[in-house]
Amino acid sequence: MAANMGNNTLIGKPQSRIDGPVKVSGQARYTSDYSFPGMLYAVPVGATVARGKLLSLDTKVAEAMPGVRAVFHGGNIGRLYRASFLMADLVLLDEKRPPLADNDVNYFGQYIAVVVADTFEQATAAADAVEARYAAERPVMNFDLLRGTELKQSDHRGDAVKAFESAAVKIDQVYSTPVQTHNAIELHGTVAVWEGGNCTLYDTVQGVGNHQLVMTQRLGIEREQLRVITRYLGSGFGGKISAWGHCCLAAAAARNLNRPVKLVLSRRQAFESAGHRPATQQRVRLGATAEGKLVSLQHDYVNTTAMVEDFTEYCAEASPFLYSTANMSSSSALARRTLGAATSMRGPGAVPGSFALESAMDELAYQLRIDPVALRHRNEPALDESMGIPFSSRHLTEALNMGAERFGWSQRSSEVGSMKRDGLTLGWGVAVAAWGAGRFASSAAVDLRADGTARVSCGTQDIGTGTYTILAQLVGERLGLAMDKVEVAIGDSNLPAGPLSGGSLVTSSLVPAVSRALDEVSQRLITAASLLPDVRWSQTKPEDLQVVKGRLVVKANPSGPALSFSEVLQQTGVRSLTGTGSSDGTILEKPKLSKHCFSAQFAEVTWQPEMARLRVSRVVTVIDSGRIINPKAGRNQIVGAVVMGVGMALFEGTEYDPRKGVALNTNLADYVMTTHADTPDIDVIFLDYPDFEVNELGAKGIGEIGMAGVAGAIANATYHATGVRVRQLPIRIEALLEQNQTGRELKKEPWPTHPTTKTTPQPHRANDSPDAPS
Amino acid sequence: MAPGTEDFLKLSLHINGAAHAVRVDPRTTLLDCLRETVHLTGTKKGCDHGQCGACTVHINGRRVNSCLTFAAMHEADEITTIEGLGEPGTLHPMQVAFVEHDGYQCGYCTSGQIMSAVALLKEPCGPSDQDVKEYLGGNICRCGAYPNIVAAVQAVRRQSLL
Repeated sequence: MAANMGNNTLIGKPQSRIDGPVKVSGQARYTSDYSFPGMLYAVPVGATVARGKLLSLDTKVAEAMPGVRAVFHGGNIGRLYRASFLMADLVLLDEKRPPLADNDVNYFGQYIAVVVADTFEQATAAADAVEARYAAERPVMNFDLLRGTELKQSDHRGDAVKAFESAAVKIDQVYSTPVQTHNAIELHGTVAVWEGGNCTLYDTVQGVGNHQLVMTQRLGIEREQLRVITRYLGSGFGGKISAWGHCCLAAAAARNLNRPVKLVLSRRQAFESAGHRPATQQRVRLGATAEGKLVSLQHDYVNTTAMVEDFTEYCAEASPFLYSTANMSSSSALARRTLGAATSMRGPGAVPGSFALESAMDELAYQLRIDPVALRHRNEPALDESMGIPFSSRHLTEALNMGAERFGWSQRSSEVGSMKRDGLTLGWGVAVAAWGAGRFASSAAVDLRADGTARVSCGTQDIGTGTYTILAQLVGERLGLAMDKVEVAIGDSNLPAGPLSGGSLVTSSLVPAVSRALDEVSQRLITAASLLPDVRWSQTKPEDLQVVKGRLVVKANPSGPALSFSEVLQQTGVRSLTGTGSSDGTILEKPKLSKHCFSAQFAEVTWQPEMARLRVSRVVTVIDSGRIINPKAGRNQIVGAVVMGVGMALFEGTEYDPRKGVALNTNLADYVMTTHADTPDIDVIFLDYPDFEVNELGAKGIGEIGMAGVAGAIANATYHATGVRVRQLPIRIEALLEQNQTGRELKKEPWPTHPTTKTTPQPHRANDSPDAPS
Repeated sequence: MAPGTEDFLKLSLHINGAAHAVRVDPRTTLLDCLRETVHLTGTKKGCDHGQCGACTVHINGRRVNSCLTFAAMHEADEITTIEGLGEPGTLHPMQVAFVEHDGYQCGYCTSGQIMSAVALLKEPCGPSDQDVKEYLGGNICRCGAYPNIVAAVQAVRRQSLL
């Protein structure tokens, strides 16, 4: 099937989204758009200390306020169970402690009660009137994570320490990334409706199946009693994978009051109690020969985690295989801090990890006086050296070359501050990244209908990546149908179990499941031929028939007589035929080939030292991630990943008051994200090499790999422009100013700069910035 | 003292060309009134602080963050929401352009982007992409579909010059 991709009319062609018209007209229904007769509004109450004990709760005033139906707390909400990985091989839940489970306060904003009232305004006012007394303790909030933390080795080969010590050229630096908050524009929310003992949760989740699994456990009900619906999700970026505490509060309140309950978190609450990317501190040590061949790579990191929850941000995931080096090691540890539960955020591990490793590679390039692209070429591995197995598909060399050509890299002069345009200083930087490829276990069903339409159903969801459209393409292509003849049903846990929207795995998971469902329904169509009134069809042996583009034909004569599936069904009086298919996941398998996607990111910044103005003006991103099913949505997704990468590099970081443990910039004005006006020119190139090890179409994911590497490329470009090596994200004006103004002498100046104009930044750089202002 | 149900206000709001009689808490924002009382849920809440633009509607033809104004302040006004702009089959040219240019991903900020974009057509916005980027700076798209949104807006502006 993959061999004749050239005949495709839908797959691999840019397609407008089939859900476009409902999205542009306000008709797509997101969780908080649902309302039901008698529905009440719930507003959670969060702790106003970060750490300590809840001593008492006074709800009397709140309960007496107009419209208030109940104030639930640990004493009266009923049992909410601890959910765990014990339930299944693969269940994602990053805050395992149930809300209101005990009187321990583990982070600021942790739920201590929930108010339910007739209107949102009444519930909000009453939530403010709930009084709590605490025995507060000092929160643990320092972000110097490596200091005093004992690391545990996770990967190693050779003797990385010894090889580093004897290396001709060495880099040993620490890189830091802050807490980042997903900030999907759709707020987290749950609408809970109980009928009898059965519950329907309209929820903002990236996995209706995962959510059903977790919430049945939380609520102590059986799987068939709980239905989760997410028809449209206002994006998630990982933040809507876990079933956060508010989902339990809404479901429990609705059960207790026997009324539908809508609970939508405020933006501030989402910062506090619905996950974040943890802060990281990473030490990267590179040892190389004078010719730029790596002899040792050490990547050690610590990330923050909540006081009572474990979450690892696998920063060194790509480090064992991204480059060739005989000696490699990585180690890691968790640093408990008084924060809410950390969770996956777009490219978990890979995104902060690539920033650190690729910054270090850039530092090495300068020390060696080797072009940064050439340095990466020099260390391109022939196979995955961490497992000693070949890559299924890796075209990083070509990605670098193509990106360099498109970017105009050959025009780059390496000296810091040496490139000018329109009175601005330019900086050009490059970085690469990798992200795992594979599949979640998935199933799907395809119906053929007598009216000539088809239906594909799967318990997955479209979080903005274009899953509705991909499914219509997969089915339309095989059946020879226009996409508007394919109904796509997703976003419902009652449908055949589908993949979670995370890890860039949905499309690659759906391809084989849908393909097998199509195989089965095609076989059923052949079986149905025996019922046809025309004996030429009914007496042809099933094994002599086949289905091509939704039409029944004789194998020996595929261009001869044919019956469309609707003709077969109409003539046999059958309304519809169903086929189901499923495929295994690859997450827990021991791989024979190393399956990843790769990116090469090239960034240009402009720098005005007179006013310390740094802007990202241009990004070229080359994606090596299998065959792209829908280049229109795919390109958009990569552009969006670059936009988020710009935010990571220059703007984003959740700030905490170290004394109180309270997040300070919990709104969209103070947590700065990339806007229209900040968006650079973005050029996306897909290499489009199919990886048939992943599935029969060779499709892999793109959501995470598009972001990984962007911040590193921008940081490297910033160095090239300014001479300031910023090792702590986001890159702040203060960091650029301070180091420019103080002009601290470098201990070792690898590539002396020769300022030729007044606008060239200070030639002296500080060599260490972990203590740069944050 | 918090207002009780007896203090709720009876309002007549003129939305998308039709009169709606509603009874709301005086603290109700126009956004919450549209969504929770009138059940016009195409207008979205993303921040409730006037920072994201997802709740953008037109009041007498001008774009306004509906989360920053009370419903009770708009009895005399003509309110237009995304539902009033066009629906599948009869989409406004800006809505068509957003589909054509893939000017969204998740679709959640889209109503606000489109309402801002339609209002922009009548504002003194310069001709360049950069001008549009500045004028739409108040509408955040976390999916980052910005270039496609600008392309959609520019396509409509070019059409309207013909």
